[in-house]
Parts: sequence; structure tokens; C-alpha cells
Amino acid sequence: MIKYTIRRMILVLPTLWAVVTFVFFLIRVVPGGPAVAALGSYATAESIRELEKKMGLDRPILVQYGSFLKDLCRGDLGKSLITNKPISSEIRKALPYTLDLTLGGMLIGIVLGVPIGIMTALKRNQAPDYIGRILSLVGISMPEFYLGILLMYLFAIKLNLFPVLGGGNFNVLSSRLYYLVLPAFTLGIIMTAFISRMVRSSMLNVLREDYVRTAKAKGLRERVVIYKHALRNALIPTVTVIGIYMSILMGGSVLTEIIFSRPGLGKMMVFAVKDRDYIALQSVIIVFSAFVFLFNLLTDILYSIIDPRIEYR
Amino acid sequence: MKSSRYLPLFLVLFIVAIGVYSPASAQEKVLREALKASDIRSLDPHYGTTTIDYACIDPMFNALVRFKPVDVNPELIEPDLAERWERSKDGLVWTFYLRKGVKFHKGYGELTSEDVKFSLEKAANKATSGFASDYAALSKVEALDKYTVRLTFKNPIPSVLGILSNYHGGYIVSKKAVEEKKDNFKFDPIGTGPFMLKEYVPKEKVVEVRHPDFFRGKPKLDQVEFWFMPDASSREMAFRKGEIDIVEGEREQAWVKKMRDIPGTAIEIFGPGETLVLHFNMTKKPLDDIRVRRAICHAINIKELMTFLGPDVTEPLVSVIPMSYLGGTNKVPTYAFSPETAKKLLAEAGFSKGLDLSMVITEMSDYRRPMEQVQEQLRRAGINLKMDVITHTAFHEQIRKDVNPLVLYVAARFPVADTFLTHFFESKSIVGTPTAITNFSHYNKIDDLIAKARVEVDPKKQKELWAEAQMKIIEDAAAFPLCTTKFVFSRKIYVDLGYELRSTLNLSPPIAWTTDIRKK
Repeated sequence: MIKYTIRRMILVLPTLWAVVTFVFFLIRVVPGGPAVAALGSYATAESIRELEKKMGLDRPILVQYGSFLKDLCRGDLGKSLITNKPISSEIRKALPYTLDLTLGGMLIGIVLGVPIGIMTALKRNQAPDYIGRILSLVGISMPEFYLGILLMYLFAIKLNLFPVLGGGNFNVLSSRLYYLVLPAFTLGIIMTAFISRMVRSSMLNVLREDYVRTAKAKGLRERVVIYKHALRNALIPTVTVIGIYMSILMGGSVLTEIIFSRPGLGKMMVFAVKDRDYIALQSVIIVFSAFVFLFNLLTDILYSIIDPRIEYR
Repeated sequence: MKSSRYLPLFLVLFIVAIGVYSPASAQEKVLREALKASDIRSLDPHYGTTTIDYACIDPMFNALVRFKPVDVNPELIEPDLAERWERSKDGLVWTFYLRKGVKFHKGYGELTSEDVKFSLEKAANKATSGFASDYAALSKVEALDKYTVRLTFKNPIPSVLGILSNYHGGYIVSKKAVEEKKDNFKFDPIGTGPFMLKEYVPKEKVVEVRHPDFFRGKPKLDQVEFWFMPDASSREMAFRKGEIDIVEGEREQAWVKKMRDIPGTAIEIFGPGETLVLHFNMTKKPLDDIRVRRAICHAINIKELMTFLGPDVTEPLVSVIPMSYLGGTNKVPTYAFSPETAKKLLAEAGFSKGLDLSMVITEMSDYRRPMEQVQEQLRRAGINLKMDVITHTAFHEQIRKDVNPLVLYVAARFPVADTFLTHFFESKSIVGTPTAITNFSHYNKIDDLIAKARVEVDPKKQKELWAEAQMKIIEDAAAFPLCTTKFVFSRKIYVDLGYELRSTLNLSPPIAWTTDIRKK
């Protein structure tokens, strides 16, 4: 297992390099540059050239690429072309908010989605199943920004329970949670829909298996059959999906971050594209890619915990 | 399964914890403003160019002179850091006498003539300022003594006080702070204004606190927060909830109407607004033919466009420079809306079967919405305009590469005719040239008038020259003025701006030392 993990970790390096190289060249092909974005509509051609020189963008693209790789190997992500602040410090500030949101959303998705999935599978073609399926369809179809605004309107404006602005004081746990509730539920409700459907379909497959029938025939209690025998096996595909959704959730948190005016990596990435802040964009993508890798690795490790028969060589 | 027994208890505790938490309900007077922005570009006043930049910069800095907070009329500029000034008869030498005892933020000492000299030289240097071209005529800045500065110009310019005012390069920075902080000054600035920077959180907000030694008096607010909120619905929700006190609106009638219905809300609609002008590329076929350009002008129904954009947020624009600006005029030829005339002119130009044009337009609604309306109006006159929507940054780059036959440009500039004429219609500003600014028409027929007006010392004659230049632009159909859109903000009625806002170059209500929160 340790060998496998180390091998996977080594393999991530060429993957990261490929992603970063692709992004490095792609963003530079897109029209518009950081100097135009930074100087705005008053910019003269001369001042744009001057700023490009200052930013080092007048150098040949391969030279820029070489120095980017060199800095990256030293662990230096560089400075934002727009704010001139070290990207690593901006990422350090934004990342915890994104992780809070991603983990919060996923936690809500699991806490609500798994029981709903089990219940709809057990009550197949009965009222709870129909209701659960309709609700999950609504959840899947509902755009994130729309759901966010609905929750905001209901729980912040009408009921005055939660705030709508910012991410709260990060060092105060209660403040952090207070500001996290609505954004996390925005993502969590959508996740609930996906997870409940996945659990339902896996459970339906597993419940038809011989070993479940055997367990029932042996006279085991329904609860034991469901939770010990059926659910454990049904969870394997669900864990795969959760692993994938964690990555999607992290990248897709941008809309929630914008709607709730929360700091975060997704927002940072989108604005970096808008401002053509090449350095910020490359760095954020490196972080995102690293997390995608991490989530995949954790998913693989979880498999062996859920099903000890799975071995890694 | 035992642990499941504790789950409800945990949930109850969680809800109670959240329920009892409320953000510090401070006794302090904190004003929160939300602007349509994703982040600031710079807090160095010599680089700030966006609405959010202006909003954050203005409360932190002063200039030698200032526009009255209520109005941007350049003829009413008043003393700020300078108590008084003198000018030579030829208008080339200006001497400013500074106020004594003006303090920079955070212990950076007293303002002296050395700071003024340093600031103006910084503003005039293209390596340290985005507005260096405005100071091309400035030849020398001398610190005569601790409180006296002398400025010498190579030639007279239309508004010396304008370029020394609280706008763009006119702001005075602390020499010591710039030298000490170097590039970091951009996000850790030191000025003399009523508020000083407390915190800048990228992609989230700028927080400024009261400057206790502000020379005009103790600012009434303790803290001002500028939030970056690009999403209109989020801004509206935060305003409705009362978490935001001033909010940037959409320049749409529907938005104004909706916000007016919120109890305790005041709507601020103010100038100078932004001009919407269509610039025709006179070097590109078929727009090199004046009949085609005039046909487009006749095909556009301005009245319909203004109704579409909203009567509360638009104003007529007869010439390419608003009437309220120094040198603006309405004595120019007009092109009456007449699709028949348009079709006739097109037929004369050899396009009796209609005309196909294509262009790029930014995704920004301030540009896209009016242009979509114009597109529909042109279609009715037989002109099929294909528009590709691209990002705003890409749009700015593409229009500077002459991609478009016609460019809709939305602009707010220093309210003196010379600025508009120089940026948009002087030959040295033609896009694609090394000295390019924003002359998208490639127009080069009023250089002599601009140059003459620039050095003319008689204000009446100067205005006549500017009026003549505008007349020529419209006659030649180099550009076609559509209308002016005003700025729209909502504020809670408990926010007292401390002045009656009519127009501001800040593009948002300036937060002054007199701005106050009466009661929340």
C-alpha cells in the first residue's frame, strides 16, 4: 500500500507538468493581456508596452516558460501580475475558505444523500421513493447560482438567520461556521441529489445479490442486512463518485464564492482568467490539480478500507 | 450505533451555536459600500483606473486643488492641499502655496513641497504612472521652500488646475512612503486623506479607517469598507439585508424602479456619466465612404435607444463631448432618424441590396445592451451587423488592433473638451501607432484646431475652437454620439454623504470626511 502510494505520488509530477504547460501556453494564446487589463481603457500603446516590459512579458515565450519552470522547481510560484503580491500568500489565504466550502458541501451531501438513497432504494416504487427521486431531480437540475440566491432570499433576507456577505472571521470557528451555512448548503443540496441517486442505484443492485438473500434467509435482522452487508458493498461505487465530485465541487465552488462574496480559490482562478493574470492562473491550477490527485488517491485508499479484499500492488 | 444517539445532541448544539453567534455589533460607525468589481487594480492613485480603484483611492488622498464634492465643473475647482496659487501672465509658470501642518497617514510626517514635487514628477513619468501623457507639457517642478512649489510648463494647456486636481495623477503621495515601500506602495499607500488603509483582502474588500489627523477635521465615520461584488443579485441581497449601506446599481430603468420600492432606500443618479459614442473606422471599407457612415447615423433611432436603456439613467448627447463639460457644445449638425434616408445613401454608395458588417463587442452589459439595440435598428435599414461577444479585456485589445469597422466606446474622461478630442480624434492617438490612445476613427482633420485651442489663453476663443472641432467631427461622420448614461447607486437613507451629489469623477459617491451614518 505504501509502495503504491509513493508510486502514485511520483506519477503526479509529470501530470502536473503537462497540465501546467498546457495552461501556460493556452492562456497566452487568448486575446488580451495583463497589461491591457491592468492599465484599463486609458492606456496608451506606449504605456502598455512599458508595463509588459516591467512584467517580463516582452521576453520570448520559451524564455518565460523556462524561468517559470525554474521558479516552480524552487517552490516559487511567483507574484501576481496584477496585484504584485506573492501568489503563495494569496493562495494560503483563499485555500482554507475553499476547503471549508468543499468539505462542508460534501459533508451535507453525504449526511443527507446516503440515508435518502438507502430509503428510496428500500421503499422502491413507493411514495418515499417517488418523492426522493423527484427532489433529487430538482436538485440536479437546479443551477448553483439560482439555488444560492433562493437560499439567500429565504434564510438571510426573509428569516434573517444567516449573513450574505463574506467568509466571516477565519480565526473564530463560530463566525466561520455561521458564514459557511448557506454557501455549504447551496453546494450540499446539489451533492445530496447526486449522492442519493448513486446510493439508491447501488443499493438496488446489491439488494438483488445472493449474499443479501442468504443473509436474510439466515434470519439476520433487516437492519444488519442493510447496513452491514448491503450498504458496505453499495458504498464502493458511491465512494468513487464522491471522490470525483470532490474535485468537481472544489473547482465548481466559484459561483457560490461569487454569490456569497466569499474569498476562495475558484474566484481567484476566474478573475485571473479575466485579468489575464498568467502567474496567478498557473499557480491556482497547480493547486487544483494537486487536490484532484489527492482526492483520487484518498478514494483509492478508502476502497481498501471499505472492502479489505481490494489490494494495491 | 451508539454514536448515533449523540447525533441529535450534536445537531442541536450546532444550531444553538450558530443561532447565538452574531457578528460583533460594533459601536463604531462603519460604512459598507459594494461595487461591481472583482478586485482593485491599484491603490497607487497614479495607476488606478477603474471605478473600484477610484472609490478606494479618493478617501485616502488629496491633491493641490480639488473638485467640489458636489460637482465636477472644472471652473469651480477649489483649494485643497494648496491654500492659494499664482500664475504668470502667459500661463506657463504656476506657484502653489501649501497648507501647513497637513499630516500623512501612519506617522509619515508632514506634507512638504518635496512630496508635491516628487508626486507630480512620478505622475509625469511613464515608468511610474499610467497618466504620464497628461503631464507632457510639464517641464519642471521646483520646491522653492518647505511650503512653496513652482511648476513650469513648456506650453499653455487647457486646464492646469484640472491635472493638479483630485483625479488620476493629481493626487499627492508621501515621498518617504513610496521610496520605502517601492512596488508595495501599490497596495499599501500613504496619503493625507480622511481615511487610511487598514486592510486589503484580494478578491474581497478594502478596509479603510479614520485618519485622526486629517487637516479638514475629524472624519465622522470610523471605518469604510469597499466590497468587491461582481454579481448584481448578491449586491442587491446584501443591500436588502442591510449588510451593505451603499450599492452600485445597474444602469437600467428596471433596477432603479426595483430599488426605489425598498423601504429606507435613496437612489443616487449622478453625472457626469459615460458617453456612448460610435466611432467609424474611416480607413476600412466600406466605412471609408462618408455616405455609408452617414447612412448608419440616419438609421439609428436615439429616442428609442434611450427609452430602451431607461429615461432615468440616460441623457441626450448631441456632440461627442457632453454639454456639461468645459468646451462641450450642442451647435453641431445632427442626423435625424430616417431609415429611408439611410437606405438612399446606401444605394448611392452602391449598397442598394443592403450591407453586411461584422464586429466584436464586449460581454459587459454597458456596451453590449445598447449595441444590440443599435444592431436591431441597423437591420431595419438593411445593414446586417454581425456581432461576436468576447471578454472585456480581449475587446480592449481587439479594438486597438483595428478589428472593428465600428467601435462603440463608453467613456468618462476629465471634463474638458481637450481630453476627449486628444484621446479620440487627434492623429497621434490613432490606434496601431506607437503613441496610440483611443482614436478608433483614424480621424486626422482637427489636429490644428486641437493644438490652437490647447494654447489659447482667451477662454471664449478656446471654446469656439473646440466647438469648431466638434462640428467637423460630426460633419465628417467620424463618430456618432448616441447618449450619455449616468451612474446609479442606492444608499440607505441613514447614510448622509455630507454633500448633495450631482456629479463626480469618482464614478461612485465619494466618501468624504463629512460622510456619516445617522442611525442604523
